[in-house]
Amino acid sequence: MRKDNTRLSRRKFVYTGTTVAALGLAGCSGDGGGDGTATDTAEPTDMPAVEIMHGWTGGDGKTAADNLRDTFQNNYDVELDWNPIGGGGNQNLDAVVANRLQNNNPPGAFANWPGPNLVKYEGVLGNVSDIWDEEGFEDAHVEEAHDLHKQDGEYRAVPLGSHRLNNLFYNQAVVDEAGVTPEDITDVSSLVDALETVANETDKIPMTHGMQGTWTTTQLWASTMLGQEGFDAYMSFLDGNPDRAAVRRTFESLETILSNYISDDSATIGLTGSNNNIINGNAAFIHQGNWAAGAFRNSEGFAYNDDWGAKAYPGTEDMYMLHFDSFLYPSDNPAPEATKTWMAYVGSKDAQIAFNKFKGSIPTRTDIDLAGNDFGPYLQDAADDFANAEERPPNLQHGLGVVAKTMTSLNDVISSNFSGPFNVEDATDGFVDAVSN
Amino acid sequence: MRDRFRALTGRDEEPPVRADGGVPGDETSSAIDDAFETIGRAISRVIDPINDRTGPDFVESSPFWLPPFLLMVLFVYGAIAWNFAISLTDFAGFGNPDYSSLDLDQYARALGDSGFIQATQNTFVLVLGFTVATLLVGLLLAILIDRGIRFENTFRTIYLLPMSLSFVVTAQFWLWMYNFNNGILNTIITALGLKPVNWIGDPGVVLFAVVLALVWQFSGYAMVVYLAGLRAIPTEHYEAAKIDGASSFKMYVRVIIPQLKGSTISAAVVLMVFSLKAFDFLYSLVGGYRPPNGVDILATLMVRVSYSNNQWAYGSAIAIMLFLMALSIIGPYLVYEFRRGNL
Repeated sequence: MRKDNTRLSRRKFVYTGTTVAALGLAGCSGDGGGDGTATDTAEPTDMPAVEIMHGWTGGDGKTAADNLRDTFQNNYDVELDWNPIGGGGNQNLDAVVANRLQNNNPPGAFANWPGPNLVKYEGVLGNVSDIWDEEGFEDAHVEEAHDLHKQDGEYRAVPLGSHRLNNLFYNQAVVDEAGVTPEDITDVSSLVDALETVANETDKIPMTHGMQGTWTTTQLWASTMLGQEGFDAYMSFLDGNPDRAAVRRTFESLETILSNYISDDSATIGLTGSNNNIINGNAAFIHQGNWAAGAFRNSEGFAYNDDWGAKAYPGTEDMYMLHFDSFLYPSDNPAPEATKTWMAYVGSKDAQIAFNKFKGSIPTRTDIDLAGNDFGPYLQDAADDFANAEERPPNLQHGLGVVAKTMTSLNDVISSNFSGPFNVEDATDGFVDAVSN
Repeated sequence: MRDRFRALTGRDEEPPVRADGGVPGDETSSAIDDAFETIGRAISRVIDPINDRTGPDFVESSPFWLPPFLLMVLFVYGAIAWNFAISLTDFAGFGNPDYSSLDLDQYARALGDSGFIQATQNTFVLVLGFTVATLLVGLLLAILIDRGIRFENTFRTIYLLPMSLSFVVTAQFWLWMYNFNNGILNTIITALGLKPVNWIGDPGVVLFAVVLALVWQFSGYAMVVYLAGLRAIPTEHYEAAKIDGASSFKMYVRVIIPQLKGSTISAAVVLMVFSLKAFDFLYSLVGGYRPPNGVDILATLMVRVSYSNNQWAYGSAIAIMLFLMALSIIGPYLVYEFRRGNL
């Protein structure tokens, strides 16, 4: 009797459970439907929030992005769904964006590089040519930005700011100790001589280079090629007609630098560790995009022109190797009108001032008075170099020079042949193969 | 709410419940009971043949296993099947895969890709090296702790602790410890008068360095499994071996360790699966999808191909091959357990 009762109640329990589960499932699908209708009815009446995805989650990037957002919200009546995704350079952001685009659930706009980098988003980018027209962006922004923001003849993105890639930063005290004058280093071979002098005269690292990732080496290769082989050789490399001898000579110079003058622990340090070597006075030189200057500026008691200095990478004095941070506009946009308000804002004076002065990049607009907007001495110098540059070649590693697939191949080559031991011959073959049409 | 369900289940849902047993009613209304019984018999006629084939209570127990089973089929096996379908296309970029022409191009491409071959080799070395080394270290620790030492619990905790840490944390630890200039390993090595080792930068050493870090993290797990195995061996076996005049070493090799076969197999399977997931560790080590030269494995290659290049079909093909590798590890284990009657 008792046994039977427990069995019954257990069974009842099971059935209750199953019914609850079934109802729960039904409830889920009901909720889903409800969501759909809710947004459907909301859309026509009210501007929906624009989802903005970007990778600026820390340090000066976060400060700059937050300021960009706040300035927008103070001036426009559009709600933002702010979605920063950090980690792995921009890799996590790219992965999330790729999944969202793949699932036909794009954000309003996302930060990325323009140029050949747009190729990997072929077919999912919308047209913002109307914004470029209405806002007069073609006149306001540097000429180099125009083609780089186009795909199939239409504008797909709006630039926010620009970093320079061909920089050589140095710790003033260390170069003084070694008796080296950075301004006199105007070609790659005199850079090697200067590194040799630092190695002989001091116990510091002549050139700090973080090789935790391969991207630092790839971008150093690009600057070295530009400085040593010149603008035309570099451009024909990007265009898919590499001069093998020039590629090889670049690798030879790079081998000299990387096997003799960088720190022994380079494989275990990245950008931050490498910057710290300059800030702490452990190293004389570093090659980096001028986002590195942000780390220097923000260090206590480390002043521009007194404690650290910057010059163009040797041999590239009259050039500015371009980098753009831009916002890309997905087609099939969940909030087209509101997003276009955002895109128009990104290319405006307000946005470019709000963002770049904290990010440590310079505006892509040519009509902004940097001195009058607290940009600080370093960025003013960078903007002068930008304005006076004879050539503004696109960078190799950050999307403007080659398509993503080629960039991956180049980094594969660096990883397997040029991250120590350095194999000039194989690396040359790899690079030539990777870019050749 | 519950009462309502009870009422529901009492009236409407009772018949199928009663179907299997057909237990004569000990409940209130015998007329209703009789009716139920008739329905129950009818249902039994349908269900019983199924149950005869599949085992008792197959149909009646289906509310337990069927919903999760269906969800598993859809979200796990369905996803694997879909992934396989994508790997047969040439899908890249955005848009929709074209399923009209399916072929094995992506697999052929993988076999001709030196990066893939290298990654496969590294994956094999990592899986085998890591598993064997972890089992050996774990066994050693288990035997030592099982000797009835003082502070046994403390030691056990100390050895198990690394496993509770995230890969993100341990990768950073080891990155610091492997630093060429001021890492603790090189500090010790140079103090012994040896040349410092470029742990991460030397492609010939880095795989060993990664295995070492993973062994450190998981040997505690192997220790716990072995410890449980050792505790299950009766003391008589030790005594009998001693009386027969076996040395401690011989006793362990001939008598004790053979009895740990079950522990070894289950620990090995779990460890191999862990090592296939070394992606997390490598990702955290370099802060990106590209591990140091010499330690690229299939998992990192797969993610890099898919997300850096948007080559989804190729990434899927690599994923399928990684899946087959994992299956070739798990499969024999499942067969073994099934034969022993544990499944």
